[in-house]
Amino acid sequence: MIHATLPNQQKDSGLKPVDNRSIDASVRLPVIILFGNAVHWLVIASLLSLIVSIKLIAPGFLGGISFLNYGRLAPMARDLMLYGWATQAAMAAGIWLMARLCGCPLGGDKGDGLGGMLLRTLIISATILWNLAVLLGTLAIFAGYSTGVEWLEYPHWASSMLLLSFLLIGIWSILLFDRRRTGRAEVAQWYLVAAFCCFPWIYGTANLLLVWKPIQASAQGPIQSWYCGSLLALWLLPVALASVYALLPRLLDCNPNRRHLATLGFWMLLLIGGWNGMDRLIGGPVPAWMTSAGVVAGVLFLIPVFIISINLLGMPRNETIVSSNFPVRFFLMGLYALVLVGVIGALDSLPDFSGVVRFTAFTEAKAQLWILGAVSLPLFGVLYEALPQLLGRECWCSTLSGRHYIITLVGLGMLIALMLLGGLFTGIALTDPTVSFLNITSYSYPFHLMECVAQLLLLIAALILGVNITRSLAGDYLLNKQTGK
Amino acid sequence: MHRLPTLLSGIFLVFLASWLGLVAYPALQLGRLTPVADADNGGTLPPVYGGQAIAGQRIYAMEGCISCHSQQVRQTSITSSDVERGWGVRPSVARDYLRDSTAFLGSRRLGQDLSNIGVRRPDAKWHFVHLYHPSAVCDGSLMPCFSDLFLVRKIQGQRSDEALDLTGADAPKEGYEVIPTVEAKNLVAYLLSLRHDYPLPEAPIKKTGPAK
Ligand code: HEC
Repeated sequence: MIHATLPNQQKDSGLKPVDNRSIDASVRLPVIILFGNAVHWLVIASLLSLIVSIKLIAPGFLGGISFLNYGRLAPMARDLMLYGWATQAAMAAGIWLMARLCGCPLGGDKGDGLGGMLLRTLIISATILWNLAVLLGTLAIFAGYSTGVEWLEYPHWASSMLLLSFLLIGIWSILLFDRRRTGRAEVAQWYLVAAFCCFPWIYGTANLLLVWKPIQASAQGPIQSWYCGSLLALWLLPVALASVYALLPRLLDCNPNRRHLATLGFWMLLLIGGWNGMDRLIGGPVPAWMTSAGVVAGVLFLIPVFIISINLLGMPRNETIVSSNFPVRFFLMGLYALVLVGVIGALDSLPDFSGVVRFTAFTEAKAQLWILGAVSLPLFGVLYEALPQLLGRECWCSTLSGRHYIITLVGLGMLIALMLLGGLFTGIALTDPTVSFLNITSYSYPFHLMECVAQLLLLIAALILGVNITRSLAGDYLLNKQTGK
Repeated sequence: MHRLPTLLSGIFLVFLASWLGLVAYPALQLGRLTPVADADNGGTLPPVYGGQAIAGQRIYAMEGCISCHSQQVRQTSITSSDVERGWGVRPSVARDYLRDSTAFLGSRRLGQDLSNIGVRRPDAKWHFVHLYHPSAVCDGSLMPCFSDLFLVRKIQGQRSDEALDLTGADAPKEGYEVIPTVEAKNLVAYLLSLRHDYPLPEAPIKKTGPAK
């Protein structure tokens, strides 16, 4: 398999970039811990999502046990997907890419000295803290300590642990950028800097105003929506895009060469991304201008999406590389998912359409496609690309990788199609007040039934990835044992 | 854009725009809304919640009712179906949430909107039975049973006034009764106080013909 050698551009700064092997050695442990845990949370999140969807066709399933209730499991599953899997994998991808793109090992030149060791211990403790916080936060929802704020259900102590841990890890991506040995910064690096700056800001503000010291509830609506939109558009998506910008051209062995387009896409995304969540409040209890802003932002979001996808999908592609290389395939699919997210988001924010589909599965489909498609697919790509390089050997079982790829796409495609259709269907039925609510619930039964199948596929895909990564890492352990003898 | 400070200030400025508009503005403007005087009863609007209702919000949050229920009636300019379905006599406005600890706006409606459930279903007994076993009162309901909010106990002397009137398979064994716990009572007190059937200056109640 072809691997990307990062970075491959000519450097013009004084210091010579460090070779990739020492860079990888400096980030190996934290990145592997983050990726490994991210995958295991992905498996658990997928299992919970499956149980949640079964509960919609058989409300009695696992019933009678209060903490296995839909109302607790659904936020547990979503938060695990967001913080256990996506954010954690994004941190891993971000650190690895940043170190590589900057030609600079984590902890600088003195990476091997006492300072370097201390730093690495600090970062590794931070990764453990993150996972502990996710675990405790999830258990807290389970035990009935949810805050009841969507996407921010973790109690205040768990969210402060998450923020602290993120700061300890994230600051290094900024410092690495500052000390980079490669000259001209790449677009991928801008995305990473932006993402790593935005997350603490977004997560900190939202928690402060909604959880730690909640402000008067009349003001909470816009902040909640802002949080949901910004988390996706200004943290997860930029990391996913950074991965594609950094790796896709190198894997395809060509230059996107249209830097002005990339620059424009970057700034447009940052500018509009923050307003993106307002589609959740169209027609809601907010001043009228916010509703209008939501409509405008939803439609304008198509601009960065189109610019970025034209920029990246427009590259000449060698089909033999595409068909043989899983990272490339994941990246391309992630970009298609992003285009679809943009289109659904724009439709969804048109006032008349929003009036019909909001609160149905249709809007939920957008969030799912965003998290599981536009963000997760590129992150899978980085994972497949990074691990062999970090371990210094081919480690993936390509049969398993192939199955993972296909089953993920089929499951995701099915899930999204069903949610869009089901949502449209219920939405239209809801506009007719003579149709009773329970009647509408019964209409959506077939959709819910098929959604279970889709969730099952996604669980199988996650399990395959889990087996694949465990195999890879265990292989390393066995190898060490052998050489140790 | 190759120097960190330039890049950072660019990012900061661009990001600041949405932060000011969607975080700072609401915090300063909507966060300072005040109750208005109630001309009819001499109180204030929105009315103050009782102690039980305040405690009930906690149960609403912990049981994740928000995963399936919204609490907002949308503007009629966007859709008239919320009002026509009888989920409220007027669209919700920011001031309606003044007394809440958390605005349970919600994003999915697997169940009905609850912003006016206290108007629509004013009977606490109905709520207890519904929470205990939703399909007992709504055939084919997707709502989970919250039977953990209830106690099954032996009838001591006389049957308690609070005991649920359950029939069929739900009925407890002979000599036993099902009574709501404090949590259930608080939750229902909260549900009953969810009523926004009064006009506010920014949200008058329009007289409309009977719903079609
Ligand atoms: C799985 C999603 C789900 C969850 C979680 C859920 N509900 Fe429901 N709820 C429904 C559905 C579906 C209905 C409509 C059928 C019915 O009345 O049972 C409903 C109906 C209701 C109604 C009657 C509404 C009306 O207009 O008649 C009330 C009140 C209610 N739910 C309260 C709650 C409370 C309180 C909680 C949290 C403790 C909760 N629900 C959690 C799905 C849910």
